[in-house]
Amino acid sequence: MDSFEHSADFLTTVDRDGALAETRSHAERTLSRRRLFGMTLAGAGAITIARTAGAHAAAGLPASDVDILNYALVLEYLQASFYTEAERSGALTGKTAEAARIVGATERAHVKAFLKLLGSQAVKRPTFDFQGTTEQQRPFLKTAVAFEDLAVAAYKGQAPKLQANPVLAAAVGIHSVEARHAAWMRQLFGITPAVDAFDRPASRRSINRVVASTQFIVSRPKLTGRKKPEFTG
Amino acid sequence: MKRSTRLAAALAAATVAGLLSAGLGVSFGQEQIGVPADLAALPAAPPPALQIGRPEQLSSGRHLSRWTVVRSPTIAHVEPSASSAAVAQLSTRAPEETPNLLTVLQARTGSDGRVWVEVRLPVLPNGRVGWVRRASLGPYQTVNTHLVVDRARLRATLYREGQIVLSAPVGIGTEAWPTPAGEFSVRSVLTRYASPFYGPVSFGTTARSAVLTDWPAGGFIGIHGTNAPQVLPGRVSHGCIRLRNPDILRLAQLMPVGTPVTIR
Repeated sequence: MDSFEHSADFLTTVDRDGALAETRSHAERTLSRRRLFGMTLAGAGAITIARTAGAHAAAGLPASDVDILNYALVLEYLQASFYTEAERSGALTGKTAEAARIVGATERAHVKAFLKLLGSQAVKRPTFDFQGTTEQQRPFLKTAVAFEDLAVAAYKGQAPKLQANPVLAAAVGIHSVEARHAAWMRQLFGITPAVDAFDRPASRRSINRVVASTQFIVSRPKLTGRKKPEFTG
Repeated sequence: MKRSTRLAAALAAATVAGLLSAGLGVSFGQEQIGVPADLAALPAAPPPALQIGRPEQLSSGRHLSRWTVVRSPTIAHVEPSASSAAVAQLSTRAPEETPNLLTVLQARTGSDGRVWVEVRLPVLPNGRVGWVRRASLGPYQTVNTHLVVDRARLRATLYREGQIVLSAPVGIGTEAWPTPAGEFSVRSVLTRYASPFYGPVSFGTTARSAVLTDWPAGGFIGIHGTNAPQVLPGRVSHGCIRLRNPDILRLAQLMPVGTPVTIR
């Protein structure tokens, strides 16, 4: 059996083989640099913002739950943007195109629900650069498997930390949907959908590291300037 | 499933549910499964905090345009292949010192197995397109706006999702320095510079004057305000599209960078 059929190993493989990214160390340097400039990034950036807003928790939720919800929202943004770009690209065919359409619609519904609950405390959508993985079938599926496994592990890692039962109920409801997505994408990619007897959770730190290593989250191009125009007039 | 089969299944399920609610054991063959009598007294699950609605299908995308920026210096080719003829060299910065924005037309896998993207090129002759390696480009962004400049009617009209959101009189190029026709993009917005001639806001575009090729920075066409509103509308410029200052300020509120521009 291919070792990366196990979800954690798959993430490691995706991270290691460079299909999605350049080097992790470069990503981490970039992340640190962006932190210094106070830019909105997934993971660490989102957490920072959420903590700032935590004193005025949404809908009476504990501040730590708002923090976790914002963290989950960044992952939902990542997935929704990925499937949306893939569907818009028109490059996918057959069952993969159908899966991208259905899963994408679900991820967008998740984002919408998070935004409604968090209101003004929701972190902003980062800018994503999927580097062509939305425009070819195999890279798309490989990335989709990684994202879905990542989401499943992330929800599992945070669920025990949630304080409010209604938030936990919502997280569990989404977690199982992400697991279905993971199984679907794994099957389409040609690997065993469910191979482990027990799924390990992933810490926020490890999720952040994997997300950063992909370099899919980038700063938005700054297209405004103050240079004196030199247009023809 | 046949109707009779469905009915039998429903009856069986109802029987089991009835036994469970009565706190009785259920016999499956030889095995007796005990069920606690107070099962029904278990607390109900709390309502979830998130109200997740129906899956959100994408809109048709009929009015969407995609753009990106040049991430690393690259060459545009006539085909999605490095061995095909080069059309243009692309740098990462526009003359306005902002990232070099390109409108995306389509993507394709080249003979090298990599993704290539067809883009509109900011080169002469106007209207050229070329293929660039996806790896040389930045993130895709989308806009749902479209600016149409009608040279005959001397009017600019901004559409959002196909609906008019702004229409304003414009000044365009004279006969000697005409405003070029074609499909272009807004690639930058400049503000707070000290030049009343250009008004308070200037948009950079990918259109170039075919006449003023020796103009500083290459003779690109801008969309900007003016310190001479009395001559608008008219054929008064060196090719740029001039708007009255209240109109350019309004346009700056409504038109994002990346908006495609049709000049006809």
